[in-house]
Amino acid sequence: MTSYSKEVIADLVAGTLPWPQTRRIMSAYKDDDRFFKYVAVLQDRVGWKDPILLPVGDHLFICQSGDERVTKCECGHSFGDYRKNWKLKAAIIVRDSEESLREIYPNSDLPDPDWMEIREFICPECGTLHEVEAAAPGYPIVHDFEPDLEGLYRDWLGKPLVSSNKGG
Amino acid sequence: MLDKPASALRIRERLLESERLMEETGCYDGITELHLRNQDPLKFETLHTKLRAYCVSAREMARRISASPGVREVGEMVVAIYTPEGDAIALSNGIMVHVHTMSRFIKWMIRNGYEENPRIRDGDIFANNDAFIGTVQVPDVMDVVPIFHSGKLVGWAGAVCHELEAGGITPGGDVALAQERFTEGLFVCAEKVGENDELRRDYVIRCERNLRMPIYWVLDEKAKVASCIDMRESVKGLIDEIGLDYWMQVSKEFIEEGRRAQLARTRQLTVPGIYRGHTFYGHVTKGKPGYQPLGDPDWLYNMPIEMEITSDGKIIMDFEGTQPWGYHSMNCTPAGMDGGMFVTLTQHMNFEGLVNDGAWMATELKLPAGTWTNPDNEMVATATSWALLLPAYGVFQRLLSRSFIARGFVEEAFVGQVNSPMIEMGGQSQYGTPFGMAHFECAAAGSGALAIKDGLDTAYVGWNPESDMGNIEIWEQNMPMLYIGRSIVPNSGGAGKYRGGCSFLSTWLVSKTDHLRLVTSEHSSRVFDNGGLCGGYPAPTCQKHRAVRDSNIFELAENGAPLAHHTGTNPYRSELEVRLEGEHVTLEGPYITAPHKTGDVFTHSYNGGGGYGDVLERDPVKTAWDVENGFLTKEAAEGIFGIVLDEDEEGFPVANIEATKRHRADMRAKRLARARPVSEWIAKERERVKAADFAPEVKKMYASAIKLSPRFTRDFSTFWDVDAKSTFGVE
Ligand SMILES: [Zn+2]
Repeated sequence: MTSYSKEVIADLVAGTLPWPQTRRIMSAYKDDDRFFKYVAVLQDRVGWKDPILLPVGDHLFICQSGDERVTKCECGHSFGDYRKNWKLKAAIIVRDSEESLREIYPNSDLPDPDWMEIREFICPECGTLHEVEAAAPGYPIVHDFEPDLEGLYRDWLGKPLVSSNKGG
Repeated sequence: MLDKPASALRIRERLLESERLMEETGCYDGITELHLRNQDPLKFETLHTKLRAYCVSAREMARRISASPGVREVGEMVVAIYTPEGDAIALSNGIMVHVHTMSRFIKWMIRNGYEENPRIRDGDIFANNDAFIGTVQVPDVMDVVPIFHSGKLVGWAGAVCHELEAGGITPGGDVALAQERFTEGLFVCAEKVGENDELRRDYVIRCERNLRMPIYWVLDEKAKVASCIDMRESVKGLIDEIGLDYWMQVSKEFIEEGRRAQLARTRQLTVPGIYRGHTFYGHVTKGKPGYQPLGDPDWLYNMPIEMEITSDGKIIMDFEGTQPWGYHSMNCTPAGMDGGMFVTLTQHMNFEGLVNDGAWMATELKLPAGTWTNPDNEMVATATSWALLLPAYGVFQRLLSRSFIARGFVEEAFVGQVNSPMIEMGGQSQYGTPFGMAHFECAAAGSGALAIKDGLDTAYVGWNPESDMGNIEIWEQNMPMLYIGRSIVPNSGGAGKYRGGCSFLSTWLVSKTDHLRLVTSEHSSRVFDNGGLCGGYPAPTCQKHRAVRDSNIFELAENGAPLAHHTGTNPYRSELEVRLEGEHVTLEGPYITAPHKTGDVFTHSYNGGGGYGDVLERDPVKTAWDVENGFLTKEAAEGIFGIVLDEDEEGFPVANIEATKRHRADMRAKRLARARPVSEWIAKERERVKAADFAPEVKKMYASAIKLSPRFTRDFSTFWDVDAKSTFGVE
């Protein structure tokens, strides 16, 4: 069975593993012990102790925070119950003018702000840009991901989660 | 079941039985145990490898028969071997989107009584390019031949080429101007086009008389027939070796194993749950010559996708909430939607083991009737269905990628495909003859970023994993235009910690013709039709066309003065305007206009991919390299990514790490100061929604989605706390 060291997984996640090695990992059979090593690597990276249950973005994690399961930014900021859309608790910058779109698209033709806007969802504490939506004005904010957390641990990882009072 | 002889049932009954068995057992054709695989796994694997080798070698051989640069240069072809019921057992590389569309074509003939009339006999050749029978668009012409052994139908061999000319209302294959089926070109509707391994003369004559450039289509037909015969004979030889009963059983086990492997892969690589995403497409044709006033000329398409991964590993994609079909060529049939799903899966999940129709069986598509994904009118045009398919399946790739990231397989996460703006042409060639052609250099867009590195520059499209832009010299042999530039477009990848792959732009001088019709399609106007992931931005995909009529380029060349080789990086004044005199044209939407002639200059730009991650985390050293090589500009490095670049003694950009840190801290502070709580924004935006204070096309988009979809109506009403129906005046 394929397996890699925690150091290799850490480098892979950080994008620092040399390309030939990354390429071999991509081409090889997948390592079945990846998930918990990956979570361990991320747990080392974050500066807080709440156990990570599931990464849901580049710097966003569902974690066990006391009795609750919440979505947390890498900086420790909590966006609340993981079953709710974390974006609703974020800060936002909306680019809906030629001037603000031009900041990101310096030399191309721009979308028509009457038809499309860029929405940036930002951590209100550390300022990390977590997600960008390109949407028509008036389009509801998307709830990107509602994981079946219990099902993943129980049926696929074979390690059922200890039940939680809230956010279960 | 080895003692069971090849089915004595007629094939139509056999197909129904196979479907019933799948329904009853949940396994393909009732194969609940992989007996042959368990008996001798090595023999099993070896046989599948052989079948795949037959396919790959048949395709390579056929590419050398074909006359079309689409097939020869960029490999617009795929071949596959099927069961008698029409399920793919093994396939070649190439445009794999068609493996499953061909399956639909074979099943359609079986269901429609082709056994009785026109009969299915050894040596017959059947062709199809009707999307409602089973293809994506009119230029995707497929040929299949039955495989008989010991007097029994034991399978099919099939091949598809994307034709560069389909004889529609506008030249090329992706007939941009088609608004109904009747203007899409030459249709071959599940037709018997040959007998005794030979194409019928009358069929070839029909092709010759209905196409602008019949040599492409006709020679591709011969190439496809040759590859089918090649595969057929190989399979017959194999059956001689292993026995007919073994073949009939093993071919089904291959598919069942493919189905199981796909489910297992999903459980291994992803996370169960609900994933959502969307993208948009702007279709702008108002005032363009040739469009019949059959519907509104301008349309904004929303493409929401909800993907569910169930705990047994099934992937279900639901398009509820998207727009209705329209009087344009961008509609798609369920066959095309299947194909898009299939080609995406083969690239992202099914990259090892047995790649065949089994993977497709482990998925489900929910295509609401009446939408562009499943038109309830078979007269609609589908010639440019890729225009909506590509953005939609780009969303699918991002949804899958989020699941890979959640599960830890970050190396598989990929921001996805983008649209492939295509240029097609016709009129009088440089040889003074009539011609027509689709230019396939669009087969090399920028890819979306990965979660661990930048996307591929000018090297990826979703519809053909073997992306290739083809050689300039070959394209120049086939059209009355000369390249005066083919260049990377700086900043054309979506910004992010990892940027999307860059696109390129071609600049041509029209040469040796007084009548060149240029037509483009599959590029979105006014909106991005792609997206970023995890903080990355979409790539700039709403490019306009720029051209110069009656330019002074020959005069400049004679004087040795500089010419324009690209459009440059000033969005308000292109290099064409700086360098060339003449009538300057900037046009959004499909380029449908009066013919060009010698001395005109035309540019066409392709799309880059979306970005991944926060721009402020981008590697300064890689960025310096990007600036040095023209993938990013220095201004973008500083303004978007916060990376300060100095110059070394030789003038090359070098990252100033300390200045970058300071600049980024400042940018982050400004970002936080500029941002406001989402709740505040929603409260304010809600007033605009209540007043339906939107552009007419945006309002129409909402009204159409609300009319077709109870879920969209509910979600919209709940999110904004409004009555969606009354807001947009829907009864
Ligand atoms: Zn934060």
